[in-house]
Amino acid sequence: MLKRILPYKDLFLVYVWREFSIRYRQSVIGVLWAIIQPLSMMLLFTFVFTYIIKVEVSDSPRALFFFAGLLPWTFFASSTTYSLTSLTGNYTLITKIYFPREILPLAGVMLAFADYLIASVIFFMMLAAYGIGLTINALWIFPLLLLLFVFTISLCLVLSSLNVYYRDVKLATGFFIQLLFFASPVLYSIDNLSLKLKLILFLNPLTFIIENMRRCLIEGRGVVLWQFVLVAAIVAVFYYLSCRFFIKTERDFADVI
Amino acid sequence: MSSDAMIRLSEVWKKYSTKDIFHKSLREELSQAFSKKDAGSLGESEFWALKGVNIEIKKGECVGLFGHNGAGKTTILKLIASVTYPNLGAVTVNGRVAPLISVGAGFHPDLTGRENIYTNGTIIGMTIKEVRENIEKIIEFSDIERKFLDMPVKKYSDGMSARLGFSIAVHSSADIILIDEILAVGDEAFQEKCLNKIKELVTNGKTILIVSHNRDRMEELTDRIVFIKEGNIISNQ
Repeated sequence: MLKRILPYKDLFLVYVWREFSIRYRQSVIGVLWAIIQPLSMMLLFTFVFTYIIKVEVSDSPRALFFFAGLLPWTFFASSTTYSLTSLTGNYTLITKIYFPREILPLAGVMLAFADYLIASVIFFMMLAAYGIGLTINALWIFPLLLLLFVFTISLCLVLSSLNVYYRDVKLATGFFIQLLFFASPVLYSIDNLSLKLKLILFLNPLTFIIENMRRCLIEGRGVVLWQFVLVAAIVAVFYYLSCRFFIKTERDFADVI
Repeated sequence: MSSDAMIRLSEVWKKYSTKDIFHKSLREELSQAFSKKDAGSLGESEFWALKGVNIEIKKGECVGLFGHNGAGKTTILKLIASVTYPNLGAVTVNGRVAPLISVGAGFHPDLTGRENIYTNGTIIGMTIKEVRENIEKIIEFSDIERKFLDMPVKKYSDGMSARLGFSIAVHSSADIILIDEILAVGDEAFQEKCLNKIKELVTNGKTILIVSHNRDRMEELTDRIVFIKEGNIISNQ
């Protein structure tokens, strides 16, 4: 897939820039919107779990716990929202000009990643405010981020391509993302579950990624290597199949869209 | 067949469907992986848009495509631009293609003229560097006053954005330029300018394919005209 995009890297760069500058054009607070969504969800969850449902979710401060989970989650959810209609919305381009079509959904993922980076600044400020230092295990964030990236890209390729054929996908995805939110450990931790149960839950790679991102950043714990390899293998297979699917369906986009 | 052909369509058949039975097409696509379906037969409510078309265009030629609406002209352009693929036969293109099918398709209304030059330029295959090097020429050719360049394109008149779109396309470094119904763009003076530019491009060795309803203009401009009727080439002179 990289090999296909490389000759078009300038188009990719300009396209990401274009989407980014359109997003915040004619908006007053602009880039701050990237922070508002995870921040407001964090405040809401912290309020609910401090005053209404008084549950101890973990030993870490609640606000930090939620925010650490919300960051990768928001990246994933916005990526799918941005890229889902990226092909159908650019129908004038697709029916007229050839370029690797994956540029469009990938630009959506990059956009969500920019939001993620901006919101991460707030996260590190919070870490400092709570006086939590990073350990060497925090470096695990990079391989985990890569995993999250590859998984998100794969799903976005499949969903955006399917949406060209069936507009049902657009309608179903909002609902699916909402379900997945509660199926992923953003509001809770699966740390205390048995290994067997954990392994079943790891079939959703997001569970593994979100749980471990939080673990390495705020608890300073490492990732179990064999679990990482296992999930990485699942993600790699998924990525391979998604690319195959995309390239196979891409040829008909202009006729079908 | 000569080896200097830039574009070659050999026995190209292309079918489309009249109905929105696109739900079927994905399923077919996937099931074709297992069973080789006969691509040459028509399914329900399908029709042939092109029926065994043969075209060969050499480097530096300027060729016109003429025919009624629905004759298959735009389908041919789409095949050459690799936007769509033939059901039977082969399309070979040697060189980079810059399509200009209905001007300004790649413009975003919220971006300024200058920003749109960058996005549209890269969409038709220029690098950022090429756009930067050519931006002055593009602006100058488009006849757009500089004070409007940093204004969103949504505030442009149709003529202005058409002029800008044309200007970007003719300044690309592509070897093959596809032009669809563009000769109706802008005022008389600008049309004249476009025609001269197209002639200049041909002299510089670019290969150009033009689709138009304006037969007189086309005869003035092109080396030869291919007449198409209902998916067949009826005359090629």
